[in-house]
Amino acid sequence: MADNPTDSGGPAAAADTNSSNSPKTLSVAEQLEQLNAARKLVLEQPAYYDRIVKGVLPIIGPNAALPLRRWGAEFLAESLATPVLSTRDKENLVIAVLDTLRSLLEGVGEDLIVLKACVGAAASAYPVTLRWIIHNSYYAEPWEQMTAIKSRILNIWDSAPAPIKISCIKFAQRVVLAQTASNGMEQKYNGLDVSLNMIPPNHNLLDPRHLEAEATGLLDRMLGVLQDNSSNALMVDATLNCLSILIRTRPSTSNRIINAILNFNPLKLATMSPMTPTTRMHVKSMEKTTRMFLTHLIKRDPANPFNGRIQQYLERLMRAKAELLDDARKRALSEQGYPMDAKRQKVEGAVPFVVPPLGPGPHSLASVFTLTNNAGLQAFDATLIPAPLAAKISIRALATISPAVIDAAINGVRDRLAALYAAGASDAAAATAAVAPSVLNPATAPLGVDDDDDDYEPDLTPAEDTEQILNKLDNAPPEVPLEEENHEDSAALALGPFKLPSPPATDADSASKAVPSLATRLFELLPHLKESAGRKKAGFNRLAGSQDDRDWFATVIIRLATRGTSNLSGLFPSERALIKQEDGTVRPGLGDAIREILYNHVFEDWRRNIDTAIAWLTEEWYCDQVAKATAAGNGASLQMHYEKWALRVMDGFINYITAQDKLLTRFLAEIPELTRPLLGKLKVLCEDPTTVQLALTSLLYLVMTKPPAKELALDMVGEIWTEYEDARPLAAKYLVKYRPGWIEAQLSRSNGN
Amino acid sequence: MTTEHSSPVSMDTNGAAGPSPAQNGQQNEPPFRLKFCTVCASNQNRSMEGHLRLSQAKYPVISFGTGSLVRLPGPTITQPNVYKFNETSYDSIYKELEAKDPRLYRMNGLLNMLGRNRSIKWGPERWQDWQIGMPRVKHEKDLGSQGMEAGVPDIVITCEERCWDAVIDDLLMRGSPLNRPVHVINIDIRDNHQDASIGGSAIVDLADSLNKVACEERERVGPVAFDSGSAAGRATFDERVPEVLAAWQERWPDLPATWTLSWF
Repeated sequence: MADNPTDSGGPAAAADTNSSNSPKTLSVAEQLEQLNAARKLVLEQPAYYDRIVKGVLPIIGPNAALPLRRWGAEFLAESLATPVLSTRDKENLVIAVLDTLRSLLEGVGEDLIVLKACVGAAASAYPVTLRWIIHNSYYAEPWEQMTAIKSRILNIWDSAPAPIKISCIKFAQRVVLAQTASNGMEQKYNGLDVSLNMIPPNHNLLDPRHLEAEATGLLDRMLGVLQDNSSNALMVDATLNCLSILIRTRPSTSNRIINAILNFNPLKLATMSPMTPTTRMHVKSMEKTTRMFLTHLIKRDPANPFNGRIQQYLERLMRAKAELLDDARKRALSEQGYPMDAKRQKVEGAVPFVVPPLGPGPHSLASVFTLTNNAGLQAFDATLIPAPLAAKISIRALATISPAVIDAAINGVRDRLAALYAAGASDAAAATAAVAPSVLNPATAPLGVDDDDDDYEPDLTPAEDTEQILNKLDNAPPEVPLEEENHEDSAALALGPFKLPSPPATDADSASKAVPSLATRLFELLPHLKESAGRKKAGFNRLAGSQDDRDWFATVIIRLATRGTSNLSGLFPSERALIKQEDGTVRPGLGDAIREILYNHVFEDWRRNIDTAIAWLTEEWYCDQVAKATAAGNGASLQMHYEKWALRVMDGFINYITAQDKLLTRFLAEIPELTRPLLGKLKVLCEDPTTVQLALTSLLYLVMTKPPAKELALDMVGEIWTEYEDARPLAAKYLVKYRPGWIEAQLSRSNGN
Repeated sequence: MTTEHSSPVSMDTNGAAGPSPAQNGQQNEPPFRLKFCTVCASNQNRSMEGHLRLSQAKYPVISFGTGSLVRLPGPTITQPNVYKFNETSYDSIYKELEAKDPRLYRMNGLLNMLGRNRSIKWGPERWQDWQIGMPRVKHEKDLGSQGMEAGVPDIVITCEERCWDAVIDDLLMRGSPLNRPVHVINIDIRDNHQDASIGGSAIVDLADSLNKVACEERERVGPVAFDSGSAAGRATFDERVPEVLAAWQERWPDLPATWTLSWF
């Protein structure tokens, strides 16, 4: 944590001071000031790194004052880690600082902050030194230094205070990273790419097998914290958060790491000790860090064979966490002063429950069922509570309430109603009497009774559903008296009611005459709508016509054509039975008129409108099926539309198909039903050698992906094989595969003939 | 163990940590200041409120957003104003919105917020594009830039769980090249002006609490006690972060916090 910049002193001067190395006369404060100026200079001018780092080394050595050692160690850690310098640039620097680093690390009674920063610096220095040694095997000294630093760090790892310990974990991670084989997936900076692959097998200082064995041992030591199921969140987090790059780029480590994590239970601490705020923070941290780590792995490597197990582990973790931490959350909620407390106290208070009788005077239905005396609650508008929530509350309340209380409540309300009846009979007050019967509507009254929880004020409205209210409104007498009053008040000003003259009644004949122009006008809207924005893959959840684009309106038109008028039997005597004129000619109904225009619309640009055609045919098929189902009962003869129009559509485009038109395959695959005549149209294509293949591959596609049409399609391939000599080689190929023996049978039969 | 100790160590002589040259006046001026980084989705509201408040409390601070784009409310919910990170200044956004509909954007507080932001730094920065450890020497005019020259904070505070997730995921992806530990803390703050302001106070409270503990660690001199079992009194800064955060959480129960130790 190098910090404390100061502004005084020119950077250049500071650099000079440092390089000339004459600090003896200066106080520690003055020296720090100069060092900070020097640091500022290198941050601005990376070119000075070499000079300044080497220049400060004598000032920050093990014999310097503590503030200088701290500054120095942090400056070294910062400089060796800086992304400004490339690994090559750093080599020089690292080789120069190893001696100082080592002596600081080995200093007896060294300071915590100095050690922590030095271990961090050593972690950055390690891959750089290793890389340098790989290329400079003749000069052993830096490697000896580094080895000494390594063994010192690995020595203090177990017994050091936490901040040093986490730095040791990171150092070990860098050693593992540098001494295992890479898959080349890592970024090539800051020494992350230094790996076992770089070390030649015959290096005279480095033995790859030895280094790899060391890395394996260190990784096990790192994972020890997980294997022991440590409850020290700091160590667990520090370990987990540096393992990702090992798994991703060092394949030999990933199995062991993932296994260690999958056997680690971050929630163990929660089961072992009482939940203080601090343990809670630890548990939450370990749980979240583990979860993030595993989610990260799945996200970055979706093909990892471990993903199934990881997924299971995550689900288990989520459940366990919900159990352990959620009750803590509920407690926290109640501590925040939610009105839950007051409610519980009342219930536990076991005050005998009494329903006070209603006083004299008119009462609303709500007040009959109001059991609380609390004025605030009485004024609460229960309709504000959404119906599903109200239902939940009611069920909850009913389930937990004691039978004594519910009996008391029911009896109380019954007494009130009896009192009301008695009062109504004796007073014979017409208004009250008019209200009372509807009050006692047996369909609605019992629903209110469950509201005897005295926190919940019942209301008339939520007890009824919309249907009931509508029924009631329908049965209610018209509000004539109110209107009459209004008339009296404003008779002078009011205009008489104005009514448009009703249009002349439409008979079947005039309706039929209007059909063509009606249908044409439907299509006039289409070009003015915006283009549909691509095909969305919403699957079964797609709502037809949910956007205001052309698709939407096409859907409207299609439905009008296929089912729009089928119920208006009076006006358009069933689409299914054609309108027979007296002279015997057949006049199309609205549906057919629209179909005709729809057909023309599709063929204005059939390649673009093929989706509309498919949607249309699908709707036709559906309506045919519905009509069949309804007609099965009454035995009426029906006119089916699907096949007729499917054939017309096929006829429409089959002559324009070119060899590259995948549209044909799609069309055949997507329309709901294939028939022999429909597939027969494909034979046209077999007359043209360029489209033979398209016809046959379309059939093959059906064979492979549309089981109901498989036999039909194979029959058609057979027919093509028989009828078209040119198509034989390809057709034979498919037949051999899907109908073994068929060709031979054909050939032998023709030979026999 | 308390900060009121009158600097027992000589290191305090460089207590110039404060950005102002006149640092001798205040007795309780901390001798050391942690460096912070605040993060929210668009680097506009919550992180910038935190940035401002921390810089006013004299902490070195930088701020980022983790979203793919800077998103600000527009006339309707389906028409947000969208800008690119790192390329658009607060000032230009301010001017654009002011030209579009001054009344709307003044009423919903956007202009006010952008006006504040442009006095803090040039423009919204994206976390994922940030080169950690690149010196930030060209940012002298930013509030909280003093002490942040090396571009590496000690504490990252995110203002929303999904930002925390994005930060952790990004750090895992980067592969921790700097070998430098960083505490990443999430504080769930709702994204509106009022909650951001409350969140700002909570962030400063947390920063003060953490800094106090960090100062205590730095004031302690003497050889490292190996294998001392880290008795409570000797507990180090890193160990005490969850404890400090738990105590803070008791004070701010409405801002749920999460923490982890990660690596730059």
